Amino acid sequence: MKLVAVTSCPTGIAHTYMAAEALQMAAKEMGHEIKVETQGSVGAENVITDQDLKEADAVIIAADTNVDTSRFVGKPMVEVSVKDAIKDAKGLINKALAVKPKERKADTKMPVVEKKEKTGVYKHLMTGVSFMIPFVVAGGLLIALGFAFGGIYVFDCPGTVAEALFVTGKGIFALMLPVLSGYIAYSIADRPGIAPGFIGGALASGSVFSGQFLANPLASGNSGFLGALITGFLAGYIVLGLKKVIKLPKTLEGLMPVLILPFLSVGIMGLIYLFILGRPLVAINTALLAWLKGLGGANAALLGAVLGCFMAFDMGGPFNKAAYVFGTGTIVAGGSPIMAAVMVAGMTPPLGIALASTVIAKNKFTEAEREAGKAAWALGVSFITEGAIPFAAADPLRVIPASMAGSAVAGALSMIFGRKLAVPHGGIWVLAIPNVVTNLGGYLIALVAGTIVSALILSVIKKPVTE
Amino acid sequence: MTTKDMFSKNRISFDLKASNKDEVIKELIQLLYDDGKIIDKEKFREAVLKREEEFSTGIGMGIAIPHGKSNAVKEASIAFGRSNKGIDYESMDDKPANLFFLIAVPEESSDVHLKALSEISRKLMHTEIREKLFKVQSFEEFIKIFE
Repeated sequence: MKLVAVTSCPTGIAHTYMAAEALQMAAKEMGHEIKVETQGSVGAENVITDQDLKEADAVIIAADTNVDTSRFVGKPMVEVSVKDAIKDAKGLINKALAVKPKERKADTKMPVVEKKEKTGVYKHLMTGVSFMIPFVVAGGLLIALGFAFGGIYVFDCPGTVAEALFVTGKGIFALMLPVLSGYIAYSIADRPGIAPGFIGGALASGSVFSGQFLANPLASGNSGFLGALITGFLAGYIVLGLKKVIKLPKTLEGLMPVLILPFLSVGIMGLIYLFILGRPLVAINTALLAWLKGLGGANAALLGAVLGCFMAFDMGGPFNKAAYVFGTGTIVAGGSPIMAAVMVAGMTPPLGIALASTVIAKNKFTEAEREAGKAAWALGVSFITEGAIPFAAADPLRVIPASMAGSAVAGALSMIFGRKLAVPHGGIWVLAIPNVVTNLGGYLIALVAGTIVSALILSVIKKPVTE
Repeated sequence: MTTKDMFSKNRISFDLKASNKDEVIKELIQLLYDDGKIIDKEKFREAVLKREEEFSTGIGMGIAIPHGKSNAVKEASIAFGRSNKGIDYESMDDKPANLFFLIAVPEESSDVHLKALSEISRKLMHTEIREKLFKVQSFEEFIKIFE
């Protein structure tokens, strides 16, 4: 068996390493392989790589500090205090190996598509987006609640709970673009990327006074989501560039992260944005917003349909995420029709499959698929498009077109009805909250129609199974 | 800087007088102080006790490694003491501790020192090293174990 472990203690001087040694000795004696990452005062050493993780049968966290366990999700894992590893390393290893892996979302009997390693631009973008999502969710819900309590003129009722919720929601919205930009830069350049990334995002969002600077004389407004994406990448690469260019004598090296990098990178970021990038970006963003606002009738339906196709085409892959990121970027106070279309189109693929496999055309699905179909109901209503992946992987040529058709219908209908959604996620669970989606009835029609279209097509084109 | 440079003849006692946890910490701190490695005994003691509060550094197997990080420390160093009668150190295995490594680390210390400390910590987990530590009678013998 192969294990990976992380040890860490508050001072990071002794126990971290003793626990690591104890685990290594115990593993050797028991005939297992183990790699122990020590997070001590010297920083992380012997860091667990993706390759190690892939091969590992179990994960041990022996720590009294906060160890980020997100990279171990899905692996059998035990979390204990660092002293438990010193006291009884063998017992701990046995315990880890006895843990059952957390249940996968879909049936494991189904073919599971191996997710490709996210790399490069895509990974940076997704890091930024994943850090941004909580801000959008909280902002969207709080603003919606503010409207629910205070009515449409909530900003005119000073001192009320409604206004407090509204203001808080607006506040967290204002942080959304800085966070996006900051964490894109963080993904590229690690911690030094955060400062220039944040200021870039803040400039783009208009939450610092770039508006006044840029408004005079050429453009007004902000460069929004688009601007924040660009400042994020720019900030990351500025830091990487500075790190390459600046060579300091050993004794001054300590100044790099605390003084030189922040000062230079933030300064450069500000100058580039305000003098070079700001105006064109603001102009593009303003034009884009105007275009989206002006979309009506057939054009809006077309955009919804295209977004729907994107959402269903690779179910959680780059196309899906591109549409999703676009949707989140359009959310403003009061909600976004694009986000509404994107979410509904992302819900219908698993729902359509669920409907086909558990109700309409049971005989065309294997026993295992029918079981997974039940799970697909839950995943679909929660806006987890990935719930459709096992089916798509098993029979892509039939499942993907059927899903795309359903999503296109759902997206187009949602756009035609002009539904607006104020949050970037949540499936049907958030719809119950007042003002999260405008005109709930229309939205549900889009959802049901998309689901039925997808399920019907799938039921017709799928071949009966011979079991 | 090698691991063994963390120790010194002046900071070793093969026969600790202390009979309880508090006394043993004081006795070891005195060794560091007399050798000029710390400038403020009381301040450093506070850091050590604060660390002990989280959970005892008596790791069992007869060993305790009290340690503290404080700006009362001039230079990273270790004091070693052996108690032949054993001292109740509230250890994880509830058995008395005989071997004490008091580790002093300044607030800002170089990676070299910290690496050396991590090496020593790792070594202590090995049975044969602990057995030798129980037997040694001189600094020369002692330091050989860590070479």
